[in-house]
Amino acid sequence: MKPDTPLITRLHFQDADAFYECLLDAHQGLSREESELLNARLILLMANQLGDTAVLKACVAAARKT
Amino acid sequence: MLETNTILGTAPATLGTVFTNGYEFAQGSGYALPEYPFVEPPELATGKVKRHPVVIVGGGITGLTLACALAHYGVKAVLLDEDNTVGVKGASSRGICYAQKTLEIFKRLSIYGRIAAKGVQWSVGRTFAGADEVYAFDLRQQQTHSLSRQPPFINIQQFYVEGFLVEQLYQPAPEERLVDLRWSHRVTGFEQNGDFATLQLETPAGAYTLQADHVIDCTGSRSPFRAWCGATVTAQKGDDRWCIADVRFKNPPPVERHTWIEAPFNEGRAVWQHLMADGVWRIDYQMPPHANPEEVSREEVVRARLKAQFRSQAGQELDDADYEIVWVGPYAYRSECLDSLRHGRVFFAGDAAHVMSPFGARGGNSGVQDADNLAWKLAAVLQGHAAPALLDSYHHERHEAAKHNVLVTNRTARFLRPADGAERLFRTAALSLAREHLFARQLVNTGRMSTPNHYTRSGVCGPAGGRATQNVGFAWADGSPGELLDLLAWAHGRLLLLVFGDVSGAGLARLAALSKEAGIRCVQVLGTDDRATAVEYVVDREGHLQATCHVFGHAWALLRPDGHVAATGESVDASAVHAVAGALGAHISPDTREPT
Repeated sequence: MKPDTPLITRLHFQDADAFYECLLDAHQGLSREESELLNARLILLMANQLGDTAVLKACVAAARKT
Repeated sequence: MLETNTILGTAPATLGTVFTNGYEFAQGSGYALPEYPFVEPPELATGKVKRHPVVIVGGGITGLTLACALAHYGVKAVLLDEDNTVGVKGASSRGICYAQKTLEIFKRLSIYGRIAAKGVQWSVGRTFAGADEVYAFDLRQQQTHSLSRQPPFINIQQFYVEGFLVEQLYQPAPEERLVDLRWSHRVTGFEQNGDFATLQLETPAGAYTLQADHVIDCTGSRSPFRAWCGATVTAQKGDDRWCIADVRFKNPPPVERHTWIEAPFNEGRAVWQHLMADGVWRIDYQMPPHANPEEVSREEVVRARLKAQFRSQAGQELDDADYEIVWVGPYAYRSECLDSLRHGRVFFAGDAAHVMSPFGARGGNSGVQDADNLAWKLAAVLQGHAAPALLDSYHHERHEAAKHNVLVTNRTARFLRPADGAERLFRTAALSLAREHLFARQLVNTGRMSTPNHYTRSGVCGPAGGRATQNVGFAWADGSPGELLDLLAWAHGRLLLLVFGDVSGAGLARLAALSKEAGIRCVQVLGTDDRATAVEYVVDREGHLQATCHVFGHAWALLRPDGHVAATGESVDASAVHAVAGALGAHISPDTREPT
């Protein structure tokens, strides 16, 4: 990652384990389609929290690499 | 908001496409369109080949706006149109929505009053998905940001606008008319050299030849000039198909714009519904991909679609007597943008230069702005106020605008016709969120209304210039109300320098010199505490003039005849003199010009 990226890659979670658990719990009992819709809604909600165009672009680019 | 493409072109090379925007299958009782007289051109009698400074080809909204604007600046032109009426033969209505910047241009051309009187305005819009309303808005509650004297938009059939422009051109006594309207003239051949262009014409009275210093191609999306000039096009073909029905109802729907992203009465596809003049509603239905245009526009098929959507006054199924189909036209979406809007002596404008999906009414509105951009530049060059290089800035500015409009409309097209899989999934997610949360409404893209373009890469705008102003109000020296278009009219095709606040003695001397030597018009704009020292001044108590010029405090703003800011600065010094020369093309270097 280039040093001038706006992407935060250091630990930024207040409680990473709790978030991960919360995310898995949210998907419990959902069909594949329901899970996909939940994820899509979640991405849009979270994207609005970030707002910043450069950060959002960097997130999409970083996600595409995996 | 929906509008479709013109077919004023005559390019035989592009005919034969199975599904064109040419309305071959148009149905309905039609509109009554005016017919204009063919007058035998003098060249046919004399046999002489005449050279004209400006020849406009195509009498659609772009060509007619250009003709009117040139006449407004006192420039003579010849306009050639292949038929003898406005609108497309077959009684189409095409574009229906004219945005604020366009209305301001029409105000300058003296046809705004007629458009406002004939057209309709709406303020409530509702967006539906399935049986639910996703959200609604009322523009009357959102207009505080707009300071213009013109409304955000007016809906009216395109042929009315074109007819008003024609009548404006015919208004002076015959010997005083600056634009020679030549109806029933078909261009059949073209060539050009470094000095002039030659056009071969066919008319009901015979064929002849004329020469032109400047040719403006406004022939629409089937322009033959593209091939004649070897113009290259960046294009994107979609599979999205739509079918318009213009309808008059005995029991009309509410005067609101309704858009369905997933209409239950149209097999889950999109539908647009809004009002135009004469109580005619435009209902635009999204069709299945690759739908057969002949089939979807058949009368029984159209009636079945309308019956699925509307009810009679008594709440019963629509009877044929409950409504009248005025016009039906299927069309396909596509986007095209010429890579260069100038080829030698030829300038491309409107659909001849760029074709886009109708979302946001960006087709007709950008054609009008192309014409407005080119008109003052042609006038300035032909009248000797500017160097010929100024004309190259037409491509710089309007190509950037066209590319932007194509980008914006393609985004809407993608929302309305998502690919299966992730694209559809995200649309479902956005729609479900929009029902609950304000922020997600912004993701629901049913079209972004045409707004004036910001020229960021223009060779004739300073770093802080390029933006459009709005037609804001102020007070004249005697206290009576004025508006910015009055000042532009007073400048009459010359640059307008607005100087905000107090002006020093040295500044006044500089203004006097600029007025005299560069022929620009200078006006001092007073705030509440400023002292009038310049010859001409106006009072801007509310600061609206200053706000629309994007300057603060003591500053100057150089405005062009098209209402765009050329440059801004702080004190009236050498920078202002430099900006005036730059705005007239003095700094466009010859090596950036288009090859002829």
